[in-house]
Amino acid sequence: MTSRFELTRNITIGQYIPTGSVIHQFEASLKLLSFAILVVGIAICSSYTGNLILLAFSIALFGIARIPIHYGISGIKPALPFMIILSLMQLLFYGQAAQGETTLFQFGFILITTSSVQLVIVSAMRFIEIILVSSVLTLSTSTTEMTHGLEHLLKPLKYIKFPVYEFSLIITIAIRFVPTFAMEMEKLMKAQASRGAEFGTGKWWQIVRKTKDTFPLIIPLFSSAMERAEDLILAMESRCYTPGLKRTSYRQYKIALRDFLLLIITTLFSIFIVFYKFTY
Amino acid sequence: MSEEKIIEIKNLEYIYMQHTPLEHQALSGINMEVNRGECIAIIGHTGSGKSTLIQHLNGLMQPQKGKIIVDGEDLSDSNVDLKALRRKVGLVFQNPESQIFEHLIGDEVAYGPFKLGLPLNEVRKRVKWAMEMVGLSFNEMKDRPTYALSGGQKRKVALAGVLALKPEILVLDEPTAGLDPYSKNELLEKIKKLNREEKITVIFISHNLEEVSFLAHRLYVLANGKNLVDGTPNDLFSNKEILEKYKIGTPDSVDILYKLKDAGFSINPRLFDVSCVAAQIFSILSTYQRRVTDDISV
Amino acid sequence: MEKGLSVRRIVIAGVLGAIAILLGVSRLGYIPVPTPAGNATIMHVPAIIGGIIEGPIVGLIIGLIFGVSSFLDATVPLFKDPLVSIFPRLFIGVIAFFVYFGFKRFNEYVAIGAAGFVGSMTNTILVLGMAVIRGYFTLSVALGVAIANGIPEAIVALIVTLAIVTSWKKIGGSIKKKSKISEDI
Repeated sequence: MTSRFELTRNITIGQYIPTGSVIHQFEASLKLLSFAILVVGIAICSSYTGNLILLAFSIALFGIARIPIHYGISGIKPALPFMIILSLMQLLFYGQAAQGETTLFQFGFILITTSSVQLVIVSAMRFIEIILVSSVLTLSTSTTEMTHGLEHLLKPLKYIKFPVYEFSLIITIAIRFVPTFAMEMEKLMKAQASRGAEFGTGKWWQIVRKTKDTFPLIIPLFSSAMERAEDLILAMESRCYTPGLKRTSYRQYKIALRDFLLLIITTLFSIFIVFYKFTY
Repeated sequence: MSEEKIIEIKNLEYIYMQHTPLEHQALSGINMEVNRGECIAIIGHTGSGKSTLIQHLNGLMQPQKGKIIVDGEDLSDSNVDLKALRRKVGLVFQNPESQIFEHLIGDEVAYGPFKLGLPLNEVRKRVKWAMEMVGLSFNEMKDRPTYALSGGQKRKVALAGVLALKPEILVLDEPTAGLDPYSKNELLEKIKKLNREEKITVIFISHNLEEVSFLAHRLYVLANGKNLVDGTPNDLFSNKEILEKYKIGTPDSVDILYKLKDAGFSINPRLFDVSCVAAQIFSILSTYQRRVTDDISV
Repeated sequence: MEKGLSVRRIVIAGVLGAIAILLGVSRLGYIPVPTPAGNATIMHVPAIIGGIIEGPIVGLIIGLIFGVSSFLDATVPLFKDPLVSIFPRLFIGVIAFFVYFGFKRFNEYVAIGAAGFVGSMTNTILVLGMAVIRGYFTLSVALGVAIANGIPEAIVALIVTLAIVTSWKKIGGSIKKKSKISEDI
């Protein structure tokens, strides 16, 4: 009950744990790129051995980054019920998709084969690996570094007239305002509850009524967002912000040899994981 | 005002994000008593726990330690009827105009009463009463769009929205913050009327000591999640030691009186109401002038 | 309509993107209505609104932000696939814009509502279509979900979009001239 309204405190967007490890020191754009390559590798790899290696690797990353593993586990926990349900569904209904396999169990329309078992186990492992790897990325990279990294990565797109700077500014604004709006929302929930608002009343078939129940929160939330937007537009225009101009940045991000090494090693590792013919 | 206690708070403590690295103790032992019909001010610096405290009064937060009894009901009891409690204790947040969401003023004010499930006639009566109480004409304003209002009027609409629940206790978090002087005075008058004439118990947070001495029967000074001292505005504001000890600051009029006292004039710091200060200065001036005329005549 | 990213479009895309993220990470983004999933989401509504008020580019960017945040925040393996969680979301705001633009001449309210409905259906159809292509669902399951989940969600999106955009454009008063308590009894 007490924590019903404390939603700002449960939002972990942009949570950053500065431990100063090697992983923290990598330049953000190449780190992001390496991450993307690794995720592709994880998504494609479908062997047991490959996924075991990947799982061990993802756990090792926490050690290297000196981030307590429970941050990663807390990301997996809420997903467990979904994972179990999805695994069951895959196990029960995907047998047909893989015929010519060894049948382990058959009852009516339920058909379990070795390949459907593998599908279930591998997708669960894949999922855990992606959660762990992306937790390491977000926990070891501040949001400023992240947007800078993104900006760097997108730079080549400028040749096709893609507004790279503007785009990363949008991302920065979005991330910057999430905690602000979360606080605003907490206050609105409390204020409307004080006026007798109840969220989630009405019978389950009353779609319109249930939707209208959210108006006391949603409408003021959007209008306060709009007011803040107007203020920000005014502030930016009065400081002569002009989209499309070249800007210098206050902090310089240099790419060092070890950043390239990271990229090369990750790429080779991903290629190995995907193309090596593991027996299992 | 009766001697019947409507709110009793004993050793109230509250810790945000308990058992996490970000743990933060907001309240560390609040004791407070409010009589029915009283008007109580709560003052204290940012971070002293004022807002956390008032959110306990209508059950938005439940006491972690200590006790709160509102009108005989213990709020640490998990069976407490929150809906009834929130009807009894009307809480108006800071800048309440940001919570307005209906297109029309009448609908906005009627939101609470409709949520109570009252019949249309009763809702109408309450909305009319609430709007008139804050100085908005029911007939003229009920069908006007909310977005066309000024800041001060929007705040009145928000206040009416809470009043329409007919609370016995009205709790306000910095009710006049950010208003222009005219709207500020107008709003203070309305709150005073609600307390003195409609007999609604009022508890409000304020940073403005003039406002406190105008409205409050008593005030509590909070710092670091504790209440340090309480008393009537007269007792506290006229006591320079207390003012300095608890870093309360002084109302301008009290400041003037103390400066006169330091300069050797005989004044009574308890009479710090603007008209009383004026009277005191006049009397000083007239004796001084008499002395000057006496000097000349000699 | 002016082209490219003005200061206004940058800021509005950012701010609405923030709301899209917030609706995703808090439970406010879910409205408990009868669907197989147990609730309808309104997390895609910022993209629809961005498309309506600032055009297709802003709609696309908010869709992208929503997609990426739903990808990062996913607790269901289905949405840990960027082709399902990100790609389809790019079209929500764009399609909403074109629907709004097309109907605007006819009637503002109809245009806003239709944009909300169609934008939401775009989300449902493309996400499920992608899920089928990627082999997470069979076609018949996807069709079932599209009807049972997509339609209530589109109705919710219609109502919410209409309410928010009219209150922003300050044209709500012309829908309703009298408050509920106005009439004598």
